[in-house]
Amino acid sequence: MEQFYLGLVKSWTRYGNSYLLGARNTLLISLVGTFFGCLIGFAVGVLRTLPISPKDKWQKRFLNRLLNIFLSTYVELFRGTPMIVQSVFIYYGARIAFNLSMSMWTAAFFIVSINTGAYMAETVRGGILSVDQGQTEGAKALGMNHSQTMFLVLLPQAFRNIIPQIGNNFIVNIKDTSVLSVISITDLFFVHKSVVGSLYLYFESATITMVIYLTMTTTAAWALRHLEGRLDGPQHYDLAAIDTLAQTSGLLSYKAKGEVGHD
Amino acid sequence: MSQSILKISHLQKSFGQNHVLKDLDFSVRRGNVISIIGSSGSGKSTLLRCINLLETPDSGSIIYQNKDVLKASNSEVNAYRTRVGMVFQNFNLFSHLTVLKNCTLGLTSILKIKKDEAEKRASFYLQKVEMSAFVNAKPHQLSGGQKQRVAIARALAMEPEILLFDEPTSALDPQMVGEVLAVMSQLALEGLTMLVVTHEMAFAKEVSDEIIFMKDGIIWEQGKPNQLMQNPQRPETSEFLTRFRQC
Ligand SMILES: Nc1ncnc2c1ncn2[C@@H]1O[C@H](COP(=O)(O)OP(=O)(O)OP(=O)(O)O)[C@@H](O)[C@H]1O
Ligand SMILES: [Mg+2]
Repeated sequence: MEQFYLGLVKSWTRYGNSYLLGARNTLLISLVGTFFGCLIGFAVGVLRTLPISPKDKWQKRFLNRLLNIFLSTYVELFRGTPMIVQSVFIYYGARIAFNLSMSMWTAAFFIVSINTGAYMAETVRGGILSVDQGQTEGAKALGMNHSQTMFLVLLPQAFRNIIPQIGNNFIVNIKDTSVLSVISITDLFFVHKSVVGSLYLYFESATITMVIYLTMTTTAAWALRHLEGRLDGPQHYDLAAIDTLAQTSGLLSYKAKGEVGHD
Repeated sequence: MSQSILKISHLQKSFGQNHVLKDLDFSVRRGNVISIIGSSGSGKSTLLRCINLLETPDSGSIIYQNKDVLKASNSEVNAYRTRVGMVFQNFNLFSHLTVLKNCTLGLTSILKIKKDEAEKRASFYLQKVEMSAFVNAKPHQLSGGQKQRVAIARALAMEPEILLFDEPTSALDPQMVGEVLAVMSQLALEGLTMLVVTHEMAFAKEVSDEIIFMKDGIIWEQGKPNQLMQNPQRPETSEFLTRFRQC
C-alpha cells in the first residue's frame, strides 16, 4: 500500500503538469465538439422537420426528399461506426484520398463535432416533434409562417427539453475523446499512456487519470443542472400593479353593434 | 343589411372515408355573432379549422375580401390568419412565454410592431379580459379560465376582423365558464364579428345574431336565436334541443 502512495506521489510530482495539460485538452475538445455538434444537430433537426405539403411544387418535394436522404445517411453513418475508427479513417483518409493534410487538432475538433452532431440531430428532431401539436396550431392561427413557428415557438421549448441530452453528450465526449489518442492528440488518456511508458506505474497513473476524469464529468453534470434550474425561471410570479399604460393606450376600434346596421 | 365579410360556399372535407363536411354554405356579416351548435362529431370543429385553414378543405371556396383563400399562396394564408383569429378549446398558449409575451409575440414577429408599442397594445387587451395583473405569469401557473382569457387577449391583440371560437369553455371547470362567457359577451356588444362553436345554449341564445345547427356535416337549420330555439323548423333541430335540455 505504501508503495502505491509513493507511486501516486511520484507520478504526480513528475508529471502533474502534463496531466493537467491533458485534462485541459480533453475539456477543450469536448467543449468545442459539443458546441459545434449542437449547432450541427439543431441545423439537421430543423431541416429534417421541414414541412412539405402536396401543394408544393414537385421540385421542392424532390429537393426535400434528397436532403432527407442525405441527412439520414449522415446520421446513420456516424452513429453506426465507432469514433475510434472514424478518427483513423478521416485523419489518414483525408491525406491519402484528398491529399489534404489536416492538423490533428482540426481533425479532432471535426470528428467530435460531427459525431456529436449525428447524435444531437436525432435528439433535436425528436424534441421538435414532441412539442405539443397545439403550440404549432396556436402559432399558425396567429399567422406565423413555418420559420417563425419553428424559431419562436417550437425550438425554445424543444431546447429546454433537450438540455439534459446536451449535458449527456458533453459527458460522453469528455470520456470518449480518449480514443483520439490514436491520432496522437495529447489528451488526458494520451498523457496517462506516456507517463506509464516512462514510469511503469500502471495502477497509480490510472488512479490519477480516473480521478481527473471523474472530477470533470461530475463538475459538468453539476453545472448543467444548475443551468437547467436557471432556465426554468422563478417558480412564482408577482402580480403586477394594475398597468396604467393600458388605460391610456388607444381605444378599442370595433364599432358598436348599433352602428353596423340591421337586416 | 350589412355586408358579408366571409362567404363560404360548397365547402367539403373528408378524412379518408369519413365525409365530415358536406357542401356547406353560409356567410358571415360584419359585426355579427354566429353560434354553431350540434352534437359531438357533427363537424363543428372541422368547419372552424377549415375556415382558418388548419385543415385544408377538399373543395369549395372561402371568399374573404373578394379572394378565395383556398387558392391563396402560403404568405397570403398567413396574412389572412392575422385577420381571422382563433381561440381554442385547449387555449394553446405558448407555454415557454409569460402572459405578456404570449400577447406580444404575434405583434412583434408577424405585424412587425415595435416592442413598446406591442406591449401597450397587449396590456390594453389584457386589461379588457381582466388579466393585467398576471403579465409575468407563465401559462402553467394560471387557472383554466385565466388561460382562456389570456388566449382571447392574445387573439384580440392582433385586432382581427373575425374571431373564431372552438368550444372556448368546454375544457373549463363550471365555475370558470362564466368569466370567459362574460368576456365574450362584452366583445359581442362591442361589435366584434365572432363565430362560436359552443354547447352553452343560454349564451348562444342571448348573444348571437344567428345560430347554425349542424348535424352529420350538414347545416340543418340556420336562423335567429329565438326562432331556431323556440320554433325550430326541422324535427332534427328540436330533437337535438330537447336532448340537450335533458342533460
Ligand atoms: N384529424 C382528423 N383525422 C380524422 N378524422 C377526424 C379528424 N378530425 C376530426 N375527424 C372526424 O371528423 C368528425 C367531425 O369531427 P369534429 O371534431 O369536427 O366534430 P365536432 O362537431 O367538433 O365534435 P365535438 O362537439 O365533439 O367537438 C368526427 O367523426 C371525427 O372523428
Ligand atoms: Mg369540436
